[in-house]
Amino acid sequence: MMKRIRIRLMAAGMATILPLALWSGNAAAQAKEIVLGAMLPLTGSAAQIGLEEQNGIQFATDKVNAAGGIRGYKIRIVYEDTQGKPDLGVLAFNRLVDLHQVSGIFTAYSSVTLATAPLATRKKVFVLNPAAQTSKLATASPYLVNTISLAKDEVSIIAKYAAEKLGKKAAVYYDSGSVGIDLRDEFKTAFLAAGGTIVADEAVEFGNTNLRPTLLKIAAAKPDFVFMAATTGPGVTGDQISQIPDYPTAIGTSFFAPFKNYPVTVYHTLVKSSVTGETEKEFNAKFKTPDMAFFSREYANASQIMFKVIDYLLEKGRPVTGENLRTALFEVKTFDTPNGKISFDTNTARREVEIHKLTPAGRTVVEKIAH
Amino acid sequence: MALSTNFLVGIIGIFSVSQAALMGVGAYAYAGVAMAGMPFPVALLAAVTLCALLNTVTSLPALRLAGDYFVITSFGLQFIATAVFVNWVQVTGGSTGIAAIPAPRMLGISFEEPQYFVILSSLALALASLAYTLLMRSSYGRVLHAVRLNELAAGAAGRNVLKMKLGVSAVSGIYAGLAGALYAIFMSYIDPSSFEIQQSIVILTMLVIGGARTLAGSLIGPLLLLAIPQVLSLVHIAPELLGPTRALVFGALLVVFMLWRPQGIAGRKI
Amino acid sequence: MQLILQLVLDGIVHGCALGLIAMTFSYIYVTTGIFHVAHAGILTLGGYLAWYFTGVGVPFPVAVAIAVAGSAAVGVLIQKGVYEPLMKRRSTPLVQLIASIGIVAVIQNLLAIVFSPNVLQFEMLPWRKSSLHLGSLDISYPQLLTVIVSLVAALGLLLFSSRTALGRRARAVASNRSFAEIARLRPYDVYVYVVAIGAGLVAIPGIFLGVDQALQPYSSLGLLLTAVIAMIAGGVGSLPGAFLVALVLGVLQNLVLAMVPGRWSQALTFAIFITFILMRPTGLFRIRMQRAS
Repeated sequence: MMKRIRIRLMAAGMATILPLALWSGNAAAQAKEIVLGAMLPLTGSAAQIGLEEQNGIQFATDKVNAAGGIRGYKIRIVYEDTQGKPDLGVLAFNRLVDLHQVSGIFTAYSSVTLATAPLATRKKVFVLNPAAQTSKLATASPYLVNTISLAKDEVSIIAKYAAEKLGKKAAVYYDSGSVGIDLRDEFKTAFLAAGGTIVADEAVEFGNTNLRPTLLKIAAAKPDFVFMAATTGPGVTGDQISQIPDYPTAIGTSFFAPFKNYPVTVYHTLVKSSVTGETEKEFNAKFKTPDMAFFSREYANASQIMFKVIDYLLEKGRPVTGENLRTALFEVKTFDTPNGKISFDTNTARREVEIHKLTPAGRTVVEKIAH
Repeated sequence: MALSTNFLVGIIGIFSVSQAALMGVGAYAYAGVAMAGMPFPVALLAAVTLCALLNTVTSLPALRLAGDYFVITSFGLQFIATAVFVNWVQVTGGSTGIAAIPAPRMLGISFEEPQYFVILSSLALALASLAYTLLMRSSYGRVLHAVRLNELAAGAAGRNVLKMKLGVSAVSGIYAGLAGALYAIFMSYIDPSSFEIQQSIVILTMLVIGGARTLAGSLIGPLLLLAIPQVLSLVHIAPELLGPTRALVFGALLVVFMLWRPQGIAGRKI
Repeated sequence: MQLILQLVLDGIVHGCALGLIAMTFSYIYVTTGIFHVAHAGILTLGGYLAWYFTGVGVPFPVAVAIAVAGSAAVGVLIQKGVYEPLMKRRSTPLVQLIASIGIVAVIQNLLAIVFSPNVLQFEMLPWRKSSLHLGSLDISYPQLLTVIVSLVAALGLLLFSSRTALGRRARAVASNRSFAEIARLRPYDVYVYVVAIGAGLVAIPGIFLGVDQALQPYSSLGLLLTAVIAMIAGGVGSLPGAFLVALVLGVLQNLVLAMVPGRWSQALTFAIFITFILMRPTGLFRIRMQRAS
């Protein structure tokens, strides 16, 4: 597809429409403003997570703007919908960079982030990734910085824990998205290395809600526990598991982190992600949510990191370019966040990982591992 | 890409919804060969040949089945293709896809740079359009139109309808292969989700809005559809409703176009 | 063995829901000649309507009735507002199909805007998690209801089509539109009834699948596709054929899962289907009604 040409032609078309459309609204706002981009799955099967992410960014942005912006500069975020699809991601990236001239972008979704990483390198745009976990992101681009631990780290922690405490016979349940498959492969490698065997290996289509046949097959294999690598609504999975007799204990990473009322015992890793109670209350009041979801927290916290880096550049009087944002991040290196200090030795943040045990009675943290 | 579907739908009256799958085959073929270190022309040729062949073979059912059945068969083919892209991990990289697909280097210029890529794809588009125009003006093209309008009459006039249809499938496959290869170069990353059924429908929609059976239609449609999100982003909508709203407008436009101008902006009657 | 039996049982439940979708799609398709993809949108709509009304405190059976009526009304709207003008202009099936695709997009996204794109569950119905034990097999109440209601609805549609005056008129219109016009059967009125009945009935699997599993705005197209395959394999025009093949497909999809890894099951179903359609393009059961126009 000759998308490139279309974009060019489109840009030409826009050039004639834009001034008219922006005449009234933007003239005043243009004065002191820094525009950032966010490419999130706002529709499609991952939309639920995409909206949590968007709320997180918007929350942090509104807050910093209400306090007068960063050294007088207001922050404006341009949201682009990727539907979690890499091709739409590439188009979104190009629009953000060519049309809106952003130098910093929040990303989401592993395949989108992987697809746009070469563009980030080519166009020297700073990309902050607070959510996508596929292990390939560690080295995808020098301009890509991950504020969350990658899958490999979490999987090796839970695989080791399970091999020691739960047994040597594992089943794997995953969804056919790229994260699900990566998690399956990484778990298999880590668990076999820890001396275990895999007795069943079953996938569900991403977005499918009829999970019974797959769950039945898992239970019939009688493993010591099952590694769950699917996000299709934890509520739906839970309901259907509750109708399967003798479903085994489940383990997982942050990718599979049910919140309450799960019918079987679950052990899962979770990157420690906190916000102050005050922030959470403010967030819930603003977006009318019962709690501040994991991804809202992560994006709000990542936004703080982005703002801190911009602040640093403005303080030094350096222009806010992608190249400078990247350099500045490693110059600042350590950031104070509600999760404690986060520091960047490489492109991926070092974070504290906890192992949670979730039973119908409630949630306990059984282990804390810094890696 | 719309050019390729236009060829099938507009010219010969076969409505295929598996065009994205075919383009995917082209993209994977190009990626596979290029990643193996082969030069650009070889990779391109591989993609184009494979698609032409595959499209000819899979179009065979269309010759046995009536229109609506063919729609469903091509739906099915699309699903199978997606399953192969996802599951044949050794070749396609599975859901993770293939990253860092090399762009061609010729005469010391790397086409990785956007400005050079524009030249490359403009060139390809110009060539494809030229070939399309020439083909349609030729006596062959006129016979094709005749086949679409009245298959029996064309057959009675001594034309081998089967051969004509297979020929069209092959040419359409070539266009899809070309599009797939260019797509792989431009994105430098491919994965199964880019070649799913929704993509096929988007391609079809582009064609329909632009107008079928004309060259201008295949070019205007994509432009207009891709501009819709741009225009929408200028209107103020609550951010969480942005995505669905875009898709809503998209769907409404389809209905409206069908009601008031089913031939599209530049097209002839479909 | 126990696993196989349970899979077959779940397959039957799924197949019944699928069967009603296939039958109603077939009914509309054969009578009006429109490849009514928007059926998938109405399927989803029915579930959301029932969810909304149950949520505001309406008793569940009443909510189901409202959802069925609401879906039928939307069906009428689509027929009067979009399909009828297209038919009167004698537009090609392709144009009608594309309009229908547009309608699906409108319905799905409207639902996503109004109800959020999140997965929704019928939290307010505590009985949806209980199940009945038949020996070593389990069937949940929503599953049981799915089977019963789908069977009743399917039987009702069959009786309606063959025994009532309106049903017979619909079949006459289906077999020859221009002749029906001459015979003053007023085909356009018949289309409205047929689309309304189809839309109302397809709300039923939408609701019960939603109660049993969950509601999502964007997931119904895959279901419809399988249903359409059932319709074709069963022989276009044969309503019992569509239902039976859908039932078989539901069981087959589950059983295939027991033999091969889950990720291949959908492709395998389609592959079997394509081979089948090439060998026997008229379907398992002979065509009783020809496609309109």
